[in-house]
Amino acid sequence: MNESRDWTVYDRPDLRAGFGTTVGSSCEVMLALDGMHCAACASRATKQLSGQASDIHINVAARTARFRFDPRTTRLSALLAALDGAGLDPRILASENSAERDKKARRMAFARIGVATICAMQVMMLAWPTYFVADIDAGTKALLRGAQLVLSIPGVLWAGWPFFANAWRAIRSRRLDMDVPVALALSTAFAASTVRVLLGSGELYFDTATMFVWFLTVGRYLEGRSRARASERLRLLAGRRALTAQRRINGQVETIPIGQLTLGDVAVVAPGDTVPADGTLLERAAELDEALLSGESRPQLRQPGQTLLAGTLNLGSAPLLLKVERLGANTVLAQITQLLDHGETRKPKLQQFADRIAGHFIAAVLALAAIGAALALFRGASGDVAFGIALAVLVASCPCALSLAVPVALAAATSRLARGGVLVANASALQPLATIDHVLFDKTGTLTDNRMQLIQILPLAGGDSATLVRIAAALERGSRHPLASAFADIATPLQAGQLTHVAGSGISGIIAGQRYRLGALDAAPVPVGLPPGFASPADATVIALSDDQQPLALFVIGARLRAEATAVAAELRRRGLRLELLSGDAEDAVHAVAQAVGIDDWRARQTPAAKLARLQALRADGHRLLAVGDGLNDAPLLAAADVSACMPQGAALTQSKADLLLLGDTLSLLPLTLDVARATQARIRENLWWALGYNLLVLPLAMSGTLPPWLAAAGMSASSLLVVGNALRLERLPSPPSLAS
Amino acid sequence: MPSLYLLIPIGLGVVFLAIAVFLWATASGQFDELDEQAVRLPDDER
Repeated sequence: MNESRDWTVYDRPDLRAGFGTTVGSSCEVMLALDGMHCAACASRATKQLSGQASDIHINVAARTARFRFDPRTTRLSALLAALDGAGLDPRILASENSAERDKKARRMAFARIGVATICAMQVMMLAWPTYFVADIDAGTKALLRGAQLVLSIPGVLWAGWPFFANAWRAIRSRRLDMDVPVALALSTAFAASTVRVLLGSGELYFDTATMFVWFLTVGRYLEGRSRARASERLRLLAGRRALTAQRRINGQVETIPIGQLTLGDVAVVAPGDTVPADGTLLERAAELDEALLSGESRPQLRQPGQTLLAGTLNLGSAPLLLKVERLGANTVLAQITQLLDHGETRKPKLQQFADRIAGHFIAAVLALAAIGAALALFRGASGDVAFGIALAVLVASCPCALSLAVPVALAAATSRLARGGVLVANASALQPLATIDHVLFDKTGTLTDNRMQLIQILPLAGGDSATLVRIAAALERGSRHPLASAFADIATPLQAGQLTHVAGSGISGIIAGQRYRLGALDAAPVPVGLPPGFASPADATVIALSDDQQPLALFVIGARLRAEATAVAAELRRRGLRLELLSGDAEDAVHAVAQAVGIDDWRARQTPAAKLARLQALRADGHRLLAVGDGLNDAPLLAAADVSACMPQGAALTQSKADLLLLGDTLSLLPLTLDVARATQARIRENLWWALGYNLLVLPLAMSGTLPPWLAAAGMSASSLLVVGNALRLERLPSPPSLAS
Repeated sequence: MPSLYLLIPIGLGVVFLAIAVFLWATASGQFDELDEQAVRLPDDER
């Protein structure tokens, strides 16, 4: 950034609450350092901060810095200015207390894994001689057994503490969850072994218990990490909201906290700053970074009159002006965050099903453990053997893998899609998505995008259409009118002089000594009518090019087809889907788009009610439907479909209840989304069958006493890890080659 | 095997020392960013 910015507003104590966390007398803040790309940049950042800040944590991968400073002695604005001066482009992130909490929980989980690992290894080493060395003297044996007990206290009781706590919580609320048999197995194994150490005789299960804890903690950690990755994007989204805004009022620019901004204000967004609210761009065109909202990393050019979204960045070198239209919770940023937040707390149906099965399963396991032990006693086995059998049954048939099967697959799928730019707002949608056989597309805004294209050229007075287009392109060069974008891609060697705009009627200029004008039909010097037999598409605009004497040509300009639409349609068809286009536009326009994309079924002049009726008719025929729209004018259709995907373009986002948000403003991720959904279903099915099959297989072995408890623990845990590993394969699913960017 | 009477307690002590070091490392954030280290260049200034 070439001009220095005013950071002093961040020194205001009332604002600090919005981003800082008070820790004792100091304040902890989190910065995004977008200019930090490498280790050298990171050490530059540290250098700028050291001396005035403490507890500096730089994360190069996430491009963030976290540090503490003392507000009484250090001015935050000075630190920010220093970082800015070093080219690091600092930006304060809104405080995210849950992130801090997550981090503590992750550290704790990691510590438990480490302790479980160390203890399990040591206990096993100490148990080894008692199994395999025949001539151990009594004193050494007692010492070996006592040492196992000492190591099992951290290895089982501390590292396995979450299982005890969860089980206790479940029992108190009269539920049975997976942690109940786990906690029961761990506590009985630990208690019985402790008693036997004190008595000096009997078999010990410390090795089994510590190994069990180790496998379980590793499994849960992997699951938790996959989940955390999926929610990372949400956290970044929320953190990027602006904290301050600059308001222009009576010609003066003042910096205010975001809460004081009101509708209709004119906000000034300095270069590199975050757009504080949704609104309309005023006066000059601007370049914006919308990567966070759309996943699109290229700068986006926005013309005056177009909508800007809160959370995007001004990439230009000049301040931009914004008329504030939506604030706070009404912004698209807030709505996406809200949709995701809501989706994360909903439990998918399949998961509820697995939980329910697990509940019954656990009750059965507890009963079988008791029955197995009772049978053994009945057959005259010793109490030791009967206890071993009960323990083996408890451990072997613990439905850990069953409970992990669904959530781990969903977390991996969500994380894979988020990486591609598809946000899964509703994780339950992945299941119906896998069985979709029919896709309904909206036309405007979905198959076409917001830009204009030249659909047709009608020369009126003879002349070569290529030359006529070049003349028009020269006139429109530099124009900010939305229609001008239709000519933006046309190269022209011609130069137009004395350009004059007449609002509402067009543009005129002199090219090679000849005056031309381009604009509305009725404003031409000689009024132009449409040629007989020509019907213009409903959403198209026709403009006329004329010289001083006569009209030269008509240009039909309409919405541009998305570049990827045809390839996406082909990929979807290859996956066995039937595609259908429903549009409110006239036949010609819809047919043209359908033909270009390669969709055979199309219906024109569809009212929202007619679209809904069509959807219901298809569904009555047993079809399962995916609706793809832009979320603005087809919200009822989206809400009624089995699964809905939507381009997040408007404030109506929450009403559309879209299951999937195509953040890149592109269709190219649809085939991948479908692949991921199908693969997820496959993984879940494999996982559930494996988990059930394994449990049913080992149960008789454990009940008959053939399976010793340590082998049961190893098998059960290996089965859980297998389920997790199988699900994590989803994270590596590639995009179809024809659409890979 | 009388040496075991000494070695096992010493071994236990070493294990608990290892646990203490590991817990300290975790609490001070050593294992917070396991994915990042792969993309980080050797930083010889610290």
